[in-house]
Amino acid sequence: MTRFLPLLVGIVFLAAWEFSVRWLQVPVFVLPPPSAIAKAFVDNFPVLMSALWVTMEMTLAAFLASFLGGLALAILFSQSKLVERSLLPYAIVLQVTPIVSIAPIIVIWVGLDHVERAVFILATIVAFFPILSNASLGLRSVDPGLSDLFRLYRADRWQRLFLLQLPSAMPALLAGARISGGLALIGSVVAEFVAGSGEATGLAWRIAEAGQRLEIPKLFAGLFLLSLTGLAINFAVARIEHLLLRRWHPAHG
Amino acid sequence: MPGQGRSSVLTLSNITKTYPSGLLALDHVDLTIEAGSFTSIVGPSGCGKSTLLRMIAGLDEPTAGTIQGRPDDVGLVFQDATLMPWADVEANVHLPLRLAGVKRKDAAPRIAEALALVGLTEFARAYPRALSGGMKMRVAIARALVTRPRLLLMDEPFAALDEITRNRLNDDLLRLWRDQKFTTVFITHSVFESVYLSTDIAVMTPRPGRVMALHRIGGPAVRDGRFRADPAYLDGCRAVSHDLELALRAPA
Repeated sequence: MTRFLPLLVGIVFLAAWEFSVRWLQVPVFVLPPPSAIAKAFVDNFPVLMSALWVTMEMTLAAFLASFLGGLALAILFSQSKLVERSLLPYAIVLQVTPIVSIAPIIVIWVGLDHVERAVFILATIVAFFPILSNASLGLRSVDPGLSDLFRLYRADRWQRLFLLQLPSAMPALLAGARISGGLALIGSVVAEFVAGSGEATGLAWRIAEAGQRLEIPKLFAGLFLLSLTGLAINFAVARIEHLLLRRWHPAHG
Repeated sequence: MPGQGRSSVLTLSNITKTYPSGLLALDHVDLTIEAGSFTSIVGPSGCGKSTLLRMIAGLDEPTAGTIQGRPDDVGLVFQDATLMPWADVEANVHLPLRLAGVKRKDAAPRIAEALALVGLTEFARAYPRALSGGMKMRVAIARALVTRPRLLLMDEPFAALDEITRNRLNDDLLRLWRDQKFTTVFITHSVFESVYLSTDIAVMTPRPGRVMALHRIGGPAVRDGRFRADPAYLDGCRAVSHDLELALRAPA
């Protein structure tokens, strides 16, 4: 029963929205009723879908790049304190600098002819840090008793990494991946807003375009699709997390 | 009686440990552990007995003093089972062999043997989360024995278990020790447990830890529950308790 509660809340919310917009006669370009949004969604379905496809491609590519890059860097850090000390401050600088402020320069460097390259790089930068910091934390969260056993049995550095540190890091790494998946989407949307012009054809650009043309129902339809995509990514990563951890982690019964 | 040869397997001489904070944890500890013996080290918490065991295992270095005759093959069991939660029982028991480069297929007979020794054959595919505390400890013992070590080190292995489970594991451990003929060094703060299990007992003082008395416990070659009514057991308990009492009263 309780699993249908969110659905019920959604229906009540949409009904109230539809009703009040009609009753108060709110202009469509301020707040369109859900029925108009649904109609815009159906009318613009091919355009929105191809835009979604572009955004998804960017998001997945950025997510994969940040996952592999973040994990690789975290492993490097775990193997050498010296490398960690030297590089970590710069990784943090990249993290704390707002992406919107880096965007123009990245666009100038790589994106004048290929906007998608700029979007990819910017989204990767945004999604990178949660993986790096969570993987680093995870690689360090090794049971001291197990660590002693590995020493007792003279494990080498690679055995320690693959048989002890990486498995120990899994829960933190996957929690990072969940944050990162959402951020990759946010990153590619923000980057497209900043970098977008003519060539960019993702969802963000369609939304911006609809806003400029005062096609507000279409704008909402794009927004709706974007939220749905974010949810789907979150759900997919959570599912993978659950499948990988269910047999051993207390939080995944 | 096991260990009749009475050849020493391990000699600790003048072991002193000072922590960087200046704290003196162990103060000139001398202890000889005889081959085939079941030696318990009994002392109040904080007397450095765990540190001593870590030194025997080679996980910690003494500030001064020497340890001679440490064998290459050592098994180690902690108070906590410290299993890899992501691996099933078989993979956990495989670990020491795997780290020595023995593949799971080649190790299978020895893993099966070790699991049979602790009565967990049917649980090879179970994950640690599904096991009780006593069963986890059995897995830890199987893991320690899978390399057939000559020396088994145990750091209060049963302290966190309930009494019924502890008694059963005590009997199982005695059986394994008789059959497999390894030397055991066993850390505990329980006088009764140490007397029940041991051939030799070293009583330690509170910090800084020193060996203040040595006891040899006689009794039948094969001990079981009846040993708890044996004069050797009762005398042993009385003598070790008495010394522990003295150790606690002595000014540190």
